Amino acid sequence: MRRGGVVWSWFWMILGILYFFLPLIATFLFSLRAQKGVLSFTAYENIFNNPNFLYNFSYSVLWAVLTIIVGILIFVPTAYLIRLRLPQFRTPIEFITLLPFVIPAIVYVFSLVRTFSQPPFLIVDSPALLVAAYTVLSMPYMYSAIDTGLRAIDVRTLTEAGQSLGAGWGSILFRIILPNIRVAILSGAFLSFAIVIGEYILAQYLVKPAFAPFMAYMMQQKAYEPAAMAIVSFALTWASMGIISLVGRGGGQAQIAGGH
Amino acid sequence: MTHLALTDISKVYSGTTVVKDYNLDVKKGEFVSFLGPSGCGKTTTLRMIAGFEIPSTGKVTLDDANITDKAPNQRNVGMVFQAYALFPNMTVAQNIGFGMLIHKESKEAIKQRVEEMLGIIHLEQKGDSFPSQLSGGQQQRVALARALANRPQVLLLDEPLSALDAKIRVSLRAEIRAIQRKLGITAIYVTHDQEEALSISDRIVVMYDGKIEQVGTPFEIYNLPQTAFVASFVGTLNTTDAEVVDPEKKLIKIDGIQLETEGELQGKLKGDKIKIAIRPERLNFVSVEKKANILDCTIENITFLGSVVRIQVKVGNNRFNMDTFNNPFLELPKIGAKDQVTCSREAVLILNN
Repeated sequence: MRRGGVVWSWFWMILGILYFFLPLIATFLFSLRAQKGVLSFTAYENIFNNPNFLYNFSYSVLWAVLTIIVGILIFVPTAYLIRLRLPQFRTPIEFITLLPFVIPAIVYVFSLVRTFSQPPFLIVDSPALLVAAYTVLSMPYMYSAIDTGLRAIDVRTLTEAGQSLGAGWGSILFRIILPNIRVAILSGAFLSFAIVIGEYILAQYLVKPAFAPFMAYMMQQKAYEPAAMAIVSFALTWASMGIISLVGRGGGQAQIAGGH
Repeated sequence: MTHLALTDISKVYSGTTVVKDYNLDVKKGEFVSFLGPSGCGKTTTLRMIAGFEIPSTGKVTLDDANITDKAPNQRNVGMVFQAYALFPNMTVAQNIGFGMLIHKESKEAIKQRVEEMLGIIHLEQKGDSFPSQLSGGQQQRVALARALANRPQVLLLDEPLSALDAKIRVSLRAEIRAIQRKLGITAIYVTHDQEEALSISDRIVVMYDGKIEQVGTPFEIYNLPQTAFVASFVGTLNTTDAEVVDPEKKLIKIDGIQLETEGELQGKLKGDKIKIAIRPERLNFVSVEKKANILDCTIENITFLGSVVRIQVKVGNNRFNMDTFNNPFLELPKIGAKDQVTCSREAVLILNN
């Protein structure tokens, strides 16, 4: 690369970093000014000492984990079956999994409230509805991650190898397929976790004590705490992404050895 | 006694028949190869034995039990795949012991059998390695051990050596054959490599366009091909059109040159057109050894192939290849020179179309 090109590359990279990090730095500095005249973590202490913080955060974590489990139980067999036996359904299923990107969350939550707040489906107050809603919301990420993982292995030959050794579908799925796509599943899981933790509209309109509505409430009541909450939220998302990157480095074993 | 039988098997995909009129009996402990070009139906037939494809017609029986509609995991057949198909998340020992684990055998029995199989494939020190840490040849040996650990009734091998380089293929095919003989297991081996099939099989099933062309020992397939396809597919061959001169005396002619043959001319009449073949190695110069048939020729080309020297000669309007062992002390003829080549009656094969 010519010297002029290198200089421009550095210029644009620094510009991009400044564009992204300057507002964050400003937000962080603002969050440190809760105590007059001195930089301190008072705003952060106020957040973490708030009795509702732990409750709301734990609530969101619990439902995020349940969403991930439900997602794995639904999407892994679905993606596996489509790869193995029903390739003609791949395109329509992929279209369906992308619908959460198309349908606005507010439209989604209102349709859930209208459908499930009257008989025979009166479950609008049930946490199960929230998990189901989150599962649908995480569909693009979870299904895509699992499908990518399945694409990296020779699903058909591994399945047939398992069958030739006497394994049934359950054994094949849990002993052979799942362990070889665990990296992909974890990637999808952490993406889903980040989505659920930061999701506001569903939790707010289904009146659930989740983390995002708590953050929104704090933003309305306090001055410096919302800035601190924004930094905490960013930190959580970055932590999830960081774990995905670390976990993704262990993907070597997921490739079928010696395959063509 | 028949151990594995395929009776009137056929397979149709979307109106296309890929296997038709397939009948084969395999004895216990026999090593049978399915040999043919790509798309001839050999892998499809193997997969019907394994249960991964259901025949459109016919039945598969194993030890007199009809297994045609049985699920693959209920047939007790071991399979070695072209792409090895080792489980990447398991060690070599875990891969080999997987079948026994599924069948809920005891830990001690699994350990013992795994050690036994590792000894048979000479990978005693590799039990804790993962497949990605092994070479291609080692992986295929592990795949073989995994298929055999379960003590299957039949071992199926689908072009197991095609992903390996030539030298490894030669040594590994001998190992596979030795292990199969030692264990006395019935084996069906799919390959498109004729040298592989000829070197390790008790019998070969030559297939073309979904049908069996010929079944026979390697000797029969090579020396007594029954159809033009078998003759041309297995080994190199000189083929040409000929005319029957005297079916009783087994005399034919090519381009006016009369030849004697031991081939079957029953039902043929004088003047009938037939197709004949002569293997290149069955021809030699008259100066070396004189046989029943003598043909005048012109030397057209000489190709050095290592241990074999291929000499192309023109006989009448035909071009024949003659293979002779490379002998540095033998003086080769000059291109364009006139000479005479000879072959025995038995060397002139009559081909059925």
